[in-house]
Amino acid sequence: MGGDSRYLGLVYISPYVAGLLIFTAIPFVASFYLSFTDYNLINAPRWSGLDNYVELATRDRTFRKSLSVTLLYVFMTVPLKLAFALFIAYILNYRLKFINFFRTAYYVPSILGGSIAVAVLWRYIFADQGLVNMVITGLGGEPVNWFGDPNNALFTITLLRLWQFGSAMVIFLAALQSIDKTLYEAASIDGAGKWHTFFYITLPLITPVIFFNLVMQMVQAFQEFNGPYVITAGGPLKATYLLPLYIYEEAFHKFDMGYASALAWVLFAIIMVLTLIAFWSSRHWVYYAGDKRS
Amino acid sequence: MRNTATALGVIMTLGLAAGAAEAASLRMSWWGGDSRHVATQEALKVCGEKHGHTIQPEFTGWTGHQEKVTTQLAGGTEADIMQINWPWLPLFSLDGSGFADLNEYKHIIDLSQWPEEQLQAGVMNGKLNGLPISTTGRVFFFNKTTFEKAGLSLPASWEELIAAAPVFKEKLGADYYPFHAADLNALLIISLVTTQMTGKDLIDPATKQVSWTPEELQKGIEFYQRLVDQGVVRPWKEWASEGEVQLDQLPMWSEGRIAGSYEWDSTYTQFADPLQEGQELLPVKLLKVDGAVTEGVYRKPSMVFSISTRSKDPEAAAQIVNCLLNEPEGIMALRDTRGIPTSRVAAQMLAENGAIPESLIEAHKFVMEAEGPAVSPFNEHPEIREIFEGTLESFAYGQTSAADAATEIIDGINGVLEEF
Repeated sequence: MGGDSRYLGLVYISPYVAGLLIFTAIPFVASFYLSFTDYNLINAPRWSGLDNYVELATRDRTFRKSLSVTLLYVFMTVPLKLAFALFIAYILNYRLKFINFFRTAYYVPSILGGSIAVAVLWRYIFADQGLVNMVITGLGGEPVNWFGDPNNALFTITLLRLWQFGSAMVIFLAALQSIDKTLYEAASIDGAGKWHTFFYITLPLITPVIFFNLVMQMVQAFQEFNGPYVITAGGPLKATYLLPLYIYEEAFHKFDMGYASALAWVLFAIIMVLTLIAFWSSRHWVYYAGDKRS
Repeated sequence: MRNTATALGVIMTLGLAAGAAEAASLRMSWWGGDSRHVATQEALKVCGEKHGHTIQPEFTGWTGHQEKVTTQLAGGTEADIMQINWPWLPLFSLDGSGFADLNEYKHIIDLSQWPEEQLQAGVMNGKLNGLPISTTGRVFFFNKTTFEKAGLSLPASWEELIAAAPVFKEKLGADYYPFHAADLNALLIISLVTTQMTGKDLIDPATKQVSWTPEELQKGIEFYQRLVDQGVVRPWKEWASEGEVQLDQLPMWSEGRIAGSYEWDSTYTQFADPLQEGQELLPVKLLKVDGAVTEGVYRKPSMVFSISTRSKDPEAAAQIVNCLLNEPEGIMALRDTRGIPTSRVAAQMLAENGAIPESLIEAHKFVMEAEGPAVSPFNEHPEIREIFEGTLESFAYGQTSAADAATEIIDGINGVLEEF
């Protein structure tokens, strides 16, 4: 390789590196610094030490409410979504007629899922006189207050997230298709039923993929914004007021950038800790090919 | 003779030049919709040609404009002329130093076209930071067609409106309501009746504290609860079942099942247009509670023009502002794209030329004729709004009493005001 071409690789990756530095790394570091300041964008940041963190840890009732709502949302959404995605992937793994059509159809909501338009559609479907209540009343039931009742609102937002199961499903489907068929044949000869086969062969063999989906879905769920922002704006009674909404309002409605940065870093720390716990726990339940335990 | 005329000409030319700025290159920023964008660009073109300046337009929609202006002010890159939302003044210029003091340019801008009360609305710490472009206020709109179906005429008092509710239920159905008040509208109705009962705005400008006592605010909150209990308005929780949506986008509004609301006068068309064919929406004078000491109109400048303190040509910028608001070329180009102008000469010129829709004139007349204490821009401070509305929501969901809610609101707002 000539002298000039030694730097060619660096030239090729420089646009990406520049973007990473300017739009990710620098704001990342800056937000950490700002989290220790009082900064409203108009005046220069004023160093305030740990004030922002002390405030949110000791006095901020909105933060506590928002954090509990966020944790509830994540712990409700992630397991349900993984279970549902795996269930659909399991069905779509069979050789059925028009199977490719169904696979595509089930993936479509994930392409649309994060968009504002779908959130607006969701709002109409679950509104007081929306499609869901029309069906319920048509069947003789009482209409449900999906958005106005604090006990239902978060669940309704969760359903929107659940509906976007396509990407997790596609990964599960790929994992299911990679399982060696001879294992199923051997199990069948040994007299294993469908449930036994699923729990003792399928599930252990796809644990790396379950783990991957678990981490990805958890990180995404902690960052949920569009759904609750468009559908309920965090209400009623802050029942859907997830932390990203709180961060946004502190930053862009109240222009308290220092406090918003502190909130963002706390959210980052929570995601990091839970991800580390997931990695630590994976030693006990995730089995990789070549693993001596498998 | 010829020499004398030439000399006079030279003197006049020099005199005019002394009072005018040299050709300048300016920038102007604003938010708005397409009609405002087109009209403002045209106005800048004609005003620029008239005064010999070039003005670079910078315009966006409403969303994100505050963030844009804030970051520009933070970075010192703001436009020479800015359209500023009135409640932003205390956020950007609490001590009056955030924008140029327009009093310094009164030899260029004809400030006599504004009533003194309106000019005061743009004053921060004794400095005229913003020149009100138009004045807006909350007014009652009622669906005349629905009221007629119930055999009623439009209400002229709160008691008449409350009495309409049982008639609506009996003659039209249980899901018919003569009025709407939830979220921000509930807050504004409570503010309105409390102001009517006390004669005071929420915030005392002298002390920068809440001017209402907890007992006074409690009465206002209890009045709102009476509207809910009597079936005048849909309960907050039921309203929330629609999700985050505007009243004018709901079938209940377009079908006339909710037959009234308390909205900005300038939004008349926005609320009249979605109504089904054959339905008529009319603006109505402010309803008053028994024993009211004022009509308590919530009237405020909708937006102001400000000039940057960093502008290299503030006199040229002042010339353009005056042209847009006081001179025929600017007035006829902008028309009513920012509401009915506050400038007397502009309002008169537009009215004479039939440039403002009749219904908007009627609604605006009610707002301008009504009286009430001056409204503090802190009413719309995001933290104050959040405390007020959030506590009212807790009350509406039965989590707190009217007395506790009143105390919590006043203490919370006073806490925010202490920072200023």
